[in-house]
Amino acid sequence: MKMVRAFVRPEKEQEIVLALEGAGHGSLTKMPVFGRGKQKGLQVGPVYYDELPKTLLMLVVEDEVAGDVVELIEEKGRTGFIGDGKIFISPVEEAYTIRTGEAGL
Amino acid sequence: MKEITAIIRRDKLQPTKAALAEIGLPSVSIQSVEGRGKQRGDVACTLQDMDLDGQTCNATHVKIKPTPSTYALEHTLPKVALYVPKRLLTIIVSDGDAPLVVKTIIDVNKTGQYGDGKVFVSTIEDAKTIRTGVTGTEAVA
Repeated sequence: MKMVRAFVRPEKEQEIVLALEGAGHGSLTKMPVFGRGKQKGLQVGPVYYDELPKTLLMLVVEDEVAGDVVELIEEKGRTGFIGDGKIFISPVEEAYTIRTGEAGL
Repeated sequence: MKEITAIIRRDKLQPTKAALAEIGLPSVSIQSVEGRGKQRGDVACTLQDMDLDGQTCNATHVKIKPTPSTYALEHTLPKVALYVPKRLLTIIVSDGDAPLVVKTIIDVNKTGQYGDGKVFVSTIEDAKTIRTGVTGTEAVA
């Protein structure tokens, strides 16, 4: 299994989630986060924003579909301007459903 | 070392913390998150309402009788993704303690209804205590 963590624009979150649901990957966790990237924040005129709000989407999916999920997030989350975010993928060894106690997604 | 990521019900946080303290592994990070699972955030969905494939919810009995205004509401507003508030626990323990922590979390949080949550286990390469500079398994012991 793979854990996909995507830092996306908050305004793009609904579009991404509905697209993922349409593709059959409806399960995810989201949390609001603040951060900065390569551009060290954003300057609008004299005002300097060091940390920008993003939404972190966290999904755990099977290895085979991880590529599709990443592609979908990328496609729906892209605006072409700086600040579109990043996607990180890490391995997950085990997953358990608490309701049944069984292993697996 | 293993990282245990558990997504649990909000009202089970205190019992979970107590149970983890009891087994001698009280260290935990807690985040307030929102999430959705197989039922897509539909909290009215019960075990009987799910299709055999376990993917779609047919909770018809909880739907209110459609009136012109609710019909209009359902058919004009854009579809939104629903979320359920949850608590996300991150626990980092040595390889040997991981099964015990997973078992404890499952035992405490099991209610048998949808929405009990998930537990994920992944590997952490190294850890370091900032105050003392101790690295490796000793840092999380």
